[in-house]
Amino acid sequence: MTCSGFLGIDMGSISTNLVVVDGCNEVLYDFYARAEGNPIASVQSALARVADELPRDLQIVGVGVTGSGRSLVGSVVGADIVKNEITAHARAAIHLHPDVQTIVEIGGQDSKLTIVRDGAVVDFAMNLVCAAGTGSFLDSQAKRLNISIDELSAKAVLSLTPTTIAGRCTVFAESDMIHKQQLGHNQADILMGLCHALVRNFLSNVCRGKELRPPVLLQGGISANLGIRRAFREALGCEIVIPRYHMVMGAYGAALLAAEAAAPETRFRGFEIADHEVVTEAFSCGDCPNCCEIIDIVDNGRLVGRGGGRCGKWEGATYGTVADHAEVSPDSKPSQNKMSSGGVPSA
Amino acid sequence: MQALAPVELPRYLLTGPLPERQAGDSVDQRPLVAIPNLGNYSIAFTSVAEALGVRAWAATRTTPEAMKLGLEAAPESACLPFKAYLGLFIQAARAGVKYAVMVNSVGTCRLRYYRGLFQQVLDEMGFDMYVFGLGYDGLKPPLVRYFDPRPWPFLKWVGRAAVKMAVVDDIELAAWRTRPLELEPGATSRVMSQCLRELDQSASKRATQSLRADVPRRFAAIPVDPERRPFRVGLVGEVSVLRDRYLNHDLEDLLGRLGVEVRNFFLLGAELGNIFNLGTRNPNSRKRLMEVARPYLGAEVGGHAVESVAHTIRCAEQGWDGVVHVCPSGCMPEVSIRPLLRKISADLDIPVLPLSFDEHTSHVGVTTRLEAFVDVLRDRRRKDCQ
Repeated sequence: MTCSGFLGIDMGSISTNLVVVDGCNEVLYDFYARAEGNPIASVQSALARVADELPRDLQIVGVGVTGSGRSLVGSVVGADIVKNEITAHARAAIHLHPDVQTIVEIGGQDSKLTIVRDGAVVDFAMNLVCAAGTGSFLDSQAKRLNISIDELSAKAVLSLTPTTIAGRCTVFAESDMIHKQQLGHNQADILMGLCHALVRNFLSNVCRGKELRPPVLLQGGISANLGIRRAFREALGCEIVIPRYHMVMGAYGAALLAAEAAAPETRFRGFEIADHEVVTEAFSCGDCPNCCEIIDIVDNGRLVGRGGGRCGKWEGATYGTVADHAEVSPDSKPSQNKMSSGGVPSA
Repeated sequence: MQALAPVELPRYLLTGPLPERQAGDSVDQRPLVAIPNLGNYSIAFTSVAEALGVRAWAATRTTPEAMKLGLEAAPESACLPFKAYLGLFIQAARAGVKYAVMVNSVGTCRLRYYRGLFQQVLDEMGFDMYVFGLGYDGLKPPLVRYFDPRPWPFLKWVGRAAVKMAVVDDIELAAWRTRPLELEPGATSRVMSQCLRELDQSASKRATQSLRADVPRRFAAIPVDPERRPFRVGLVGEVSVLRDRYLNHDLEDLLGRLGVEVRNFFLLGAELGNIFNLGTRNPNSRKRLMEVARPYLGAEVGGHAVESVAHTIRCAEQGWDGVVHVCPSGCMPEVSIRPLLRKISADLDIPVLPLSFDEHTSHVGVTTRLEAFVDVLRDRRRKDCQ
């Protein structure tokens, strides 16, 4: 007997997460891996792992993709639904904890706050340009101290007298940490200070002016860190809820959204794509002075997707083989051509 | 050759006097003047340049190349429009353009010093470029005095520019309405590009007017799904980021594709009078907007802060689905009113999405925020229906 499942993929900046849920929205399988720079290769290897471990008779009938690499990975795997991380995370959080009011999600490159009321997202905020206050900040500090991120977590939570570290900027924090270390503070106190700094940064930058009501859910890669959990608990003065699948909530949400959308026929191109040769090719558009760099995604010689354009004409095109490029080319050029400041206008 | 009227140094000039006019520099050779980029209105501004007997060096969106030049030359803490405009001028100066125009004396933010600062930076970089100020300085601004056009053709061209501005407004209003309904993604943008290109090329008043008459028909011909109920979202904030589609990461297109009918609250053609405080019966006159904003903002804080606050309140009162507030990083007036918008959002129950724009080229962050914002709007609507 075959049963059906939904696949959710979260292509984050530093991790690739996969979740497979069954028809009753229960998690059958979850997978978390750090992605090292090549999103296509990491999603392929993740798919290969999932294919090995899933029961043979399970059929994937819907795929949802989220995360900052969602459009690229969505094209590669053939997604039925491509959703932003905020909605995906909130979807999973509300599913597991229907009474949730506040979701704190800290990932590799950005941190997000989502305000939920009566089971619906009403407001959200994201960090601005800088990556201070995100997971990569802790990563780089752990690397500098030559300890693993797990050791950082275990050590920080043991601190009895956390020291104060400047949290506004990664660079300031680092020089502060070095200073404290030279003064003789022990490593646990410094690491806990770092966790406090990150949380302080998050609360003052992202949560500015928002009302954080309990229950507060902490999810995303950083939620595994005991020091961060402790820092949030102390800063907010309330218990922090860590959802069961806290590391893969984005992927879980994407799978739930795919199940909800219930496409009549999935566009999923099968676990076989793990073995395909998927390459990307870049070209410069040149139809307007913006000169967007367009990325072609080519799977075994077949064009499966395009991205990188600003006006949407490349992304909106229908795809065929690489030889069809000319057909996809839009028939009109934008008006800015004549007024390009790249050369002296003629009239 | 015509003799030039003597030009005195206007009181707000920060750097040296106007350049000496050279012998070969006759009006017939039509010198080039770089004009700041204000989105599609640059098309109308080129007509104003024609009025002066010069050619405009202009763009309808900042190019990545200009942005790079601006970033290199500008101080890090300057605001984003400063960097974009400076980049445009440097690019022009490199190409041998000798003149540029910059608004000054309007508004109470740092913008009023930008003309002088641009001049100083260009001088220090060794370019031979003079930046004219375009503020209120008697009936004849220095720019007009310098190029001294004959009065009749000048007024004729200025009138033509005003018509072109109104046509730009017509095109944009039609595009905002049509885009969320289009069946084929990109169809509206294509029609819009075509209209703007023809507008740019139309040299006679008749051609402009016949184009204007044809615009509604062209947009009506785009295949749409009339069943869709688009969300209505107002765009408020700083002008150059509202208008320059490079700086705002093609915000209007992105929202349109997500099923949102936008209304950009900076329409120069319709609201030109407001800038000069004319037409007090106009509901969008500065005086009326000040009245609307008064419960939250009782004083001028510069830039378009009053407009942003007033339009946000109006959107809430008129039952719009939401407001997107755009703000270039380093913009003093728009940053000051952020807390006010938060309060309006809570008091009047309208979602307001604050967006900050900086020099980053990746638009994933903007897309993510907009998509999540539209999801919030969808949830609100679903709840209202229940």
